[in-house]
Amino acid sequence: MILKILSVIAPVFVCAGIGFVWGRTGRAFDTRMVGALALNIGMPCLAFSALTKLKVSPEAFAAMAGAYALVLACFLGVGLITITLMRLPAHTFLPVFTSSNTGNMGLPLCLFAFGPEGLALGICIFVLSSVFSFTAGWSIYAGRVAADVFYNNPLIYAVAVALIFMSTGIEPPVWLANTTALMGGLAIPLMLISLGVAISNMKAEGAGRIIIVCVIKLLAGFSVGYAIATILGLDGAARGVLIIQSAMPVAVHNYMFAQRFNRNTADTASMILISTTMALACLPLLMLIVL
Amino acid sequence: MEIISQLSGIVVPVFICVAFGVLWAKVGTPFDTGLITSLVYNIGVPCLIVATFQKVTLDPDAMAEIALASLACYVSFTLLAYLLIRALRLETASYLPALMFPLTGSMGLPVSYFAFGDPGLALAIVYFAIGTIGSFTIGSAIAEGKFSLRGVFRIPVLYAVAIALAMQLTGLRMPEWIFNTVDLLGGMVIPAQLVALGFSLLQLRVGGMARSAFLGVFRLAMGVAVGFFIADLFDLTGAARAIVIIQSAMPVAVSSYLFAEKFNRQPAEVAGMVVVSTAVSFVTLPFLLLLVL
Repeated sequence: MILKILSVIAPVFVCAGIGFVWGRTGRAFDTRMVGALALNIGMPCLAFSALTKLKVSPEAFAAMAGAYALVLACFLGVGLITITLMRLPAHTFLPVFTSSNTGNMGLPLCLFAFGPEGLALGICIFVLSSVFSFTAGWSIYAGRVAADVFYNNPLIYAVAVALIFMSTGIEPPVWLANTTALMGGLAIPLMLISLGVAISNMKAEGAGRIIIVCVIKLLAGFSVGYAIATILGLDGAARGVLIIQSAMPVAVHNYMFAQRFNRNTADTASMILISTTMALACLPLLMLIVL
Repeated sequence: MEIISQLSGIVVPVFICVAFGVLWAKVGTPFDTGLITSLVYNIGVPCLIVATFQKVTLDPDAMAEIALASLACYVSFTLLAYLLIRALRLETASYLPALMFPLTGSMGLPVSYFAFGDPGLALAIVYFAIGTIGSFTIGSAIAEGKFSLRGVFRIPVLYAVAIALAMQLTGLRMPEWIFNTVDLLGGMVIPAQLVALGFSLLQLRVGGMARSAFLGVFRLAMGVAVGFFIADLFDLTGAARAIVIIQSAMPVAVSSYLFAEKFNRQPAEVAGMVVVSTAVSFVTLPFLLLLVL
């Protein structure tokens, strides 16, 4: 069991650790370029490849996304209650609850815990989570409604095309399958290394309330995921993936949003750093529960 | 029809990845080639090597055979290229490294992988690893004009090769947690290199086209000829034969340009050789594959 847990979490620690050391030793790292390579090219290819290779049915895709939609609704509730009770500004603290690190950290965990099936299910959640972050999350930071993610995010197109193959049962041509499988290999390692670099540049400050928010976010994340998985009667990979993805820490792109819209970047950075560190420390326990 | 599907399954991924790099450069978005090269050579490639040799077990004879055949190819390239350079009265330090070491990594590895799966990748890696070590030692020594043995021990690939060899000889395998990690990190090598290749093709400052075009085409023709000759000489069959020929027929490596630039050895002309030979090989690659598959 210990070896199994190690085989799931070691890749995350090692890859993020490489990025962390890279950042700490002051080597140049163009986060924007690597992010573009990983998210605009690698991730759409990985999503297409994982969804079509396994012949995930559109129903299974919808079921997973539906379950995570319930999770998101609960997160929104928990977030609203927390910021009201703690008198925190919604524009900085609400998205922290709804945008979790389902890509960087969630996907490799799903992959190594449940194999290709786990990766495909994890991607269903990641897609919904990204769409939600880049629409609702973005709008909360911006203070206005934004929906341009629907046409400027390549991931949406890749998933749309994958859904066509999934629902018609047609196999993608060999060249397309090979290309997406090859390019998909960029996504996870580059995202994890970037995560490490990003964390290495962040400082944790303003302790007290930040720590409380992080603890609530992670505890609520895990409990909501666990509860919804139980209520819906999920088992096996679906259950594990829903719980893992729900328990993920604050997404790194919140920092970019906060920067862009002049919100509280220092607090956002602290929350990302603290929640990620806490989540990493709790990973063995989380794996013990879901495996 | 089936052969077209098979061929397109091999060459289209390579084209598309390179096209992404070309597009990236066209759009004018910054791309830090140095960062990607550093990630790929220091982390990705060593991981890819050990991960592949965890998945594939070559029998020691097959391994020795492909290693010797690869070595014979590199020696033949060196001799033929040297003769040409002397005949044309060119500067050895500028042109010899570029003609000696073909693009066996970013282009040779995916082609071999899609043609023959993991066993093909393992064979292609043997050819590639010998070239990489040779290129970073002998190749850079020729370009720089002096040889330092200490440099050899700074090549991460060397250590990966040692680990892979040890695993093949002892039959020992890495525990799952190491394998998962290196397999994940190794996955970025080929796509990252291909995108970087596409980007570099547009960024290279090309000069002296006539001579570099001639030398680039010479590299390809020499590669095909030597590949077939050595494959026959060693009586190779199946995947081993195809891979020795494919790897030999690869265009001028982008790393030659890096050395040429670093030591100021006609970088513009070496860039021309890279661009011309890569462009030509895009056209000739499908035909070469038809011959060897």
